[in-house]
Amino acid sequence: MKCLLIASESAEVLFQWTDPEFQQNVQEQYGASQEEGHGLPAFEDSISTLFAPIIISCSTMVDRLCDSYTSFTTENNHIYVLHQFDECLYIAVNGDGEEGEGDLRRKIYVMKKMIEVMFGMVTLSSNLLRRELRPQDTEQRARLWKHLQSLLETYSQLRENDQSFLVEAVERLIHPTLCEQCIEFLERRLVQQLNGSVERAGEEVLHAFILIHTKLLAFYSSRNASSLSTSDLLTLIIMAQNMYPSNIDLDDPHPEMAEDSLQALEVPPPAPSTPRRVFLEVSLKDGLYPMMPHSMYCLPLWPGISLVMLTKVLYMFLEAFAKLEKRLSEGQEGSAASRGQPTIHDVRSKLDKFIKALGPSEIQLQNVWTEFKNRAFSRGGPGFNRDLIPWCKNMKTQLCGIYRQCFLIESGKADIPQRLSPSLQERAQTMMQEKLMDWKDFLLVKSKRNITMVSYPDFPGLIHFICVDRSTGQMIAPSLNITERNTSELGKGPVAQFIKSKVWSLVSTTRRYLQKGYSTVTLRDGDFYFCYFLWFENETGYKLEAGDIPILPDDSAPIGMLAWDYYRKLLRYYSKNHQGEVVKCYELLTVHLGVIPTEIILQHCRQLASKLWEPSRNPLL
Amino acid sequence: RYRYNINILPSSKCNYFFLYDGSKVKGEGDATREGICYFYPEETPLDKQELLCGQLAGAGRCVSELSASPVRILRLRRNNFAIRMKDDFFWALGCSAEVPTISACELLDQLINLFCFYNGSVRQSYQLYSQETLAARWAQYLSHLQSGSLELQHIFSCLRTIDSTNVDPLLLLKAALILQACQRCPLVLAGCILFRGRVVSTQMSPELTMKVMVHESETHTKAPSTFSSFGGVVSSTTVFLTMSELQYLQSAPVDKDFRYSHRTPHKNTSKKKTRLSRTLSDTPSTESEPSDTGSSQSPLKGSFSPHFSDSSVFSPDPLDSPPPPQPLQPPFPNGKLSPEAEEEALEESYYYSFHSNEGGVSQLHNEGDSSLFEGNSYLNGGGGGGGGGDGDAACGAVFDFRGAEESHHDTVFTKEASRGGCESVQGRQAEIPDPPPGSGASDSPEECPLVPMMLYLHRVKGLVLALLVEPHFLSDTASMEEVYHSSLASLNGLEAHLRTICPGAPDAPRPYIFAHFDCIQSTLTTNLSGRPGGAPERPFVRATSLLHSHFCNTETLQEAIIRSAGAAVYGSRSVAQETYFQQHGGSLRNSGIPNHQDSAFLLPSKARHRLLKHGVNLL
Repeated sequence: MKCLLIASESAEVLFQWTDPEFQQNVQEQYGASQEEGHGLPAFEDSISTLFAPIIISCSTMVDRLCDSYTSFTTENNHIYVLHQFDECLYIAVNGDGEEGEGDLRRKIYVMKKMIEVMFGMVTLSSNLLRRELRPQDTEQRARLWKHLQSLLETYSQLRENDQSFLVEAVERLIHPTLCEQCIEFLERRLVQQLNGSVERAGEEVLHAFILIHTKLLAFYSSRNASSLSTSDLLTLIIMAQNMYPSNIDLDDPHPEMAEDSLQALEVPPPAPSTPRRVFLEVSLKDGLYPMMPHSMYCLPLWPGISLVMLTKVLYMFLEAFAKLEKRLSEGQEGSAASRGQPTIHDVRSKLDKFIKALGPSEIQLQNVWTEFKNRAFSRGGPGFNRDLIPWCKNMKTQLCGIYRQCFLIESGKADIPQRLSPSLQERAQTMMQEKLMDWKDFLLVKSKRNITMVSYPDFPGLIHFICVDRSTGQMIAPSLNITERNTSELGKGPVAQFIKSKVWSLVSTTRRYLQKGYSTVTLRDGDFYFCYFLWFENETGYKLEAGDIPILPDDSAPIGMLAWDYYRKLLRYYSKNHQGEVVKCYELLTVHLGVIPTEIILQHCRQLASKLWEPSRNPLL
Repeated sequence: RYRYNINILPSSKCNYFFLYDGSKVKGEGDATREGICYFYPEETPLDKQELLCGQLAGAGRCVSELSASPVRILRLRRNNFAIRMKDDFFWALGCSAEVPTISACELLDQLINLFCFYNGSVRQSYQLYSQETLAARWAQYLSHLQSGSLELQHIFSCLRTIDSTNVDPLLLLKAALILQACQRCPLVLAGCILFRGRVVSTQMSPELTMKVMVHESETHTKAPSTFSSFGGVVSSTTVFLTMSELQYLQSAPVDKDFRYSHRTPHKNTSKKKTRLSRTLSDTPSTESEPSDTGSSQSPLKGSFSPHFSDSSVFSPDPLDSPPPPQPLQPPFPNGKLSPEAEEEALEESYYYSFHSNEGGVSQLHNEGDSSLFEGNSYLNGGGGGGGGGDGDAACGAVFDFRGAEESHHDTVFTKEASRGGCESVQGRQAEIPDPPPGSGASDSPEECPLVPMMLYLHRVKGLVLALLVEPHFLSDTASMEEVYHSSLASLNGLEAHLRTICPGAPDAPRPYIFAHFDCIQSTLTTNLSGRPGGAPERPFVRATSLLHSHFCNTETLQEAIIRSAGAAVYGSRSVAQETYFQQHGGSLRNSGIPNHQDSAFLLPSKARHRLLKHGVNLL
């Protein structure tokens, strides 16, 4: 019984996803009257009718009481979580006990994150976003919604089964030598060759990485690229998983559910040569630039193994306007504002050519650009001052629209051939396949048994642990494979499932305490003893004194790194008192047998905390 | 979005409470205000009242239709609302977000239960009395429930008792004996003794005792009938018991002190079993009180055969009367409940009902079920032949059967309750609270018929003897006089003693804070000062409130240590108790990394050691 709904303030459904049980429930309530007619519109109508009173009441509450609903719980434990982003109201429902309020709130935030990555700055304007999410054309709408639905299902699937999506940090495949070789290969051979080719059509490969299922084997960023944020990387992994859901049937403990979700995946993946447009955060020396367009090429090497490349789209324009806007809002005017790299005059001539190439269809962009030029460059015009800021924003929005269309309407704009040529992509694919041919079977197994508890014989009574480096957004944990044919030493079946459920609930419990300012938690629960620690170190590994952790309200953004990077904010907050020092943040969760004396358990934790990230132990990190 | 609000003292009290009657606002033209039965704070502008009532009730109804179940919790950004929806009524109680949701739900249920206890069914009350009269009552109950200086008292919704460490145990014994003596009058169901708003001794469940205390602690608006013949110190008022409360009172034959709502079956300590003894002694083989059950069956006749006019029956000394037979249930002397003990008790309960069914009542048992109790038939003398001497046996049998039936009910109830608990562990995470104890759907006041009874109060200065009695007790002058006179001297003596006890010197400041909640008796022991603005105690209260919610939602959780930059708090719980402990001082400087020499991990042993002198045993 699950549902996720996005509605406009006028109760128009902008997106909906329901599982079969919820759909059935709605249909039963709306009964026979809706039976004839097409499935989709009829269902959409009944959903919108059913939720309309809540949606309308929500905006009344905001308007007149400056407060809004955050959740409802019924006596039979159905949970409704509501969150409003600008003019879009998100509602997530669970009626089967599988998700709590926190899970639902997280789902809402993740959905919003995925929409941001897909639509970029369009999301900043509710009006534009509404048009994007709910295209007039029914078929187009159905296609878009199906895509979003399957992304959401892929995410839910990963959150329920993959530890790295449980704690929202990237898991690396632990094989130092191979990793190094691959990075070298990506750098010296692959990226160099691609960026040196004439067939790249103006694109430049910035990042390239190899995924084994959801785990990262190697990650390479070119020298002039900014670093990729954990939040974006995790989202890209979800998108890659969604395109090639190689292990969905292996890992899913409910095969019949998997079939259902696979049916929803009817949207065929785009031809590999068609890149996905993604909007990612770029951090440059002079600041953070959110939602800059990139192209994402996801090339399947074998089932379960893929090469992902991110290229810089001509977002020079967007970047230029973002930078100009930043300088203007900092109070710089005139030539001080129009300086910069590239200069605005340089941008001007290039953009003129670009718009000319677009042709007459992009009249809106043309108009805004003309107006901008009049204000900025004409002799009698106001020139470069604060009044230009709204026009910078306007240009950014328009450009985003163009970038979106170039990608969505796949074949329409042949005159904007912004992509690596298919043959170039093919060459990259073949090169990588040749490189990894001898390793592929090993890698597929290794990804299921990355590290195992057997490697920790010095820790009697330790059942499981998860260690996360929040500064880099990476995690280490023994594999917990429940349905694998080759089981972990926990075995398979009920025991492993039980441990897994304990770990999952422990993570949500400790997040709850962290949200309220508690950075150490130990729990004696049934036959187990759980520990959780969060601490800070400086670059040399010196443990810093524990500081205040902010206390957040119940409906604050979920603690994690995928949808909203809590830890980045936490680090910034903590670093205020450690100026000039690089501060790192770590987390450790352990599960021990309850019979082990507490002193021993704490000793184990201490050893794990100090050893795990030692270079000798794990040269990758 | 980053709010750092450690210094903001949250109000533990309720910000909003309202009762909205949707049946009054059905048509298009009906104004929302027509449906507002009561709104707190009363000075809220009417349009805001309408807004909150209309929107919350409307959205609540929409959600409950979608899920085919009433809404229980509704959260706004700044307030959490506990909700009850019943028929067309919509209750909402809004607390600040810092108050555990489970406590808000408990508070709302207490409030509704209190209203029903003194007024009967809500629908009927609004037909009988004016809105203003009832508004005054809601206000009174709300202010009663919110009184008390300690925030912890609101978190645990506990019973306020006299500080037993300052009182001679003999006085407590004396109080218990007074109650037992009163109970020998068959029209007396159970009682409690209160001193200056605190419980000295009670035979009722904590929930029922809490209800009775409202009347004692505040002047009830409904003018109570006083009895001039008793010098104006005796008064009474009609109260309404739920079926389960009544069944419990009538079936549990002994001390209910140790009973904790429906989580545990009634426990018998080795004390007295007046109810049971009287019931069993009705059989011809015993010599005393041959027909008092018969008398309870014949109120309509208006005559009461004073079979027990022998005043020795009312002597507070239990040794004066023959020791009651105690054949059925072994005691649980420590009042503690290991899971095994609970199971055992369950079996005992079954055994009890089985056993009681013997002795020729089986056909009665077959013939009826709980429907026997509906419509107050048993109060109105359902046994038509109950008048004659030969009716005694039959009536006795009916009574006996009733005991059996009730205890059977109780057992089933217990099982359901414990099953519900298990579900909550498996199915949900910390965010969803259990239905609060004592307020489960099965206990909701509006769901089962309410049975009118009388609350009899005898006041001796600061001391009050409160008895729940059958309605016709008041028309039975002889019984009343017996109860009054037999207890008067003892009450005077008790009052004189209690009055002289000076409140113990305030504790010397200790290097630690603790709170110990006895779930069975619903009592709280703590050394918190409760001074307003007790800023140093804030971290302790915050941690306790979080841990309490966690314990409530995770049945398997036994111990927890949580540490923020400012404080480390240890919490421990068993079936019978929850204990929280924080050590002051010492170095709180720590790096947050695991370290077994860290003082936080010494808390469990410190707590065990330190709390022994407060009578808290954590072993």
